[in-house]
Amino acid sequence: MQKKIEHKMRLGIFVSIGLTLFIIGIYFIGDKQQLFNNTFQISGVFRDVSGLQVGNNVRFSGINIGVIESIEIVSDSAVKVNFNIDDKVRKYIKKDAKITIGSDGLMGNKVAIIIPGAKSKLEIENNDIIAAAVPVSMDEILFNLKVTSSNAAYITDDLASIMNNIRNGKGTIGKLFMDTLFAQSIDQTLLNIKQGTGGFKKNMDAASHNILLRGFFKKKKDDKSNDDKKKK
Amino acid sequence: MDKTNISKQEETDDEDVSGNKLVKGIESIFVEITLLTRFTLQFFRNLFTPPYELNELLKQCYIVGYKSLPLVGVTGFIMGLVLTIQSRPTLETFGAESWLPAMVAVSIIREIGPVITALICAGKVGSGIGAELASMRVTEQIDAMEVSGINPFKYIVVTRIVATTFMLPVLVIFSDVIGLTGSFLAVNIQGDVSFSLFFSQIFAKLDFMDVIPPLIKTFFFGFAIGLIGCFKGYNSDKGTEGVGASANSAVVISSLLIFIIDMMAVQITSLFS
Repeated sequence: MQKKIEHKMRLGIFVSIGLTLFIIGIYFIGDKQQLFNNTFQISGVFRDVSGLQVGNNVRFSGINIGVIESIEIVSDSAVKVNFNIDDKVRKYIKKDAKITIGSDGLMGNKVAIIIPGAKSKLEIENNDIIAAAVPVSMDEILFNLKVTSSNAAYITDDLASIMNNIRNGKGTIGKLFMDTLFAQSIDQTLLNIKQGTGGFKKNMDAASHNILLRGFFKKKKDDKSNDDKKKK
Repeated sequence: MDKTNISKQEETDDEDVSGNKLVKGIESIFVEITLLTRFTLQFFRNLFTPPYELNELLKQCYIVGYKSLPLVGVTGFIMGLVLTIQSRPTLETFGAESWLPAMVAVSIIREIGPVITALICAGKVGSGIGAELASMRVTEQIDAMEVSGINPFKYIVVTRIVATTFMLPVLVIFSDVIGLTGSFLAVNIQGDVSFSLFFSQIFAKLDFMDVIPPLIKTFFFGFAIGLIGCFKGYNSDKGTEGVGASANSAVVISSLLIFIIDMMAVQITSLFS
């Protein structure tokens, strides 16, 4: 008899723990879907929801604050999305906030992202319609990437042809880099300039000691010393 | 000439024998299905009519549920641990290591947990019921019950089928939780993930559709295990040899039924999701 009671007790504990674990699991899943919180509803109208589904998360400042309640087509170019948002965050969402559709990582689910408003100080209210910002779709990114890569291909083609010309000694830069005669000629020119400036310096020294030009040089020297004194 | 005729006659006889065997085999399958259907209907008739054998039901629940917990727990733990360790390299290749808890949780809760637990119960509980009832039949205990005025079907069969039907879901819940604990340990073998982060990653990806349909199908798994075990044991014959045969066929058929039910459950769930 005692054993039977013990068995029944054990069975009761076993079933109770099992049911408790199940209820805890259900609670956490329900809590994630805002089933046990006070919520309010807002909606947004999009042209394209990019695969957003009922049950996807709504984020504000990177925090999950709600879920997608329903999605309905209202016309051939508009889709209305209703959001269920936790009432605790209502005070942070202003009337001029916008909503867009993003992605949870590269492979993740779609998420609705609320972008905080800048000017309004009025809190959003239940059943308000929030402005929708046009989401950047993956297709658009890929299209831009395609344009960029084709431009890059043109640029690299041009660069390759320029490099080829330089290597073959064509054009001014090509001659500068590859033509040895041109380099010798530049060397000679530089040498001539050096010699020329040396001779010019000697002539100027001689001119400064000349009786006709001595006054001019002295005046110039005095002006310079006066300027230096003024600066001090 | 005579010899040729004889050999031709023998060949024809062999073909007849194999043909007869095939027909008999098919016939026996259909007979078995008919008997099983009648047995199931008899179960439902006895289920809702008094007297209710509550004490026996609780005893069977204790045997099926509580006594199977250690085996189911160990299996669930190893299942979670191994699945996590095996999945990690593949997810690492994609740089999606943070998806590991959610992926393992969805796999365990949706499919692996219920099916593995049901198969283990088919092996442990199904064979036990088959062998027990068959030996009761062989030793004429069932006949004795009938003579003494007790309804053996209600006392033996109904209690066992109800016990397996309601205890298997509880065992699956335990198996899932223990499996996820094993997964948590496996994640922490090569990394450092806190308990709260691990479980928040799991619940972030879980939905009601990941939890409720698998739990509902476990009721059917439990029903199939109990029903087949009882059917095979209750209708056992051929003496002591039949006891082994009943236990064996109870395991084989209930395992097969588990997979068939699972396939149907997946199809039905995908229709609604």
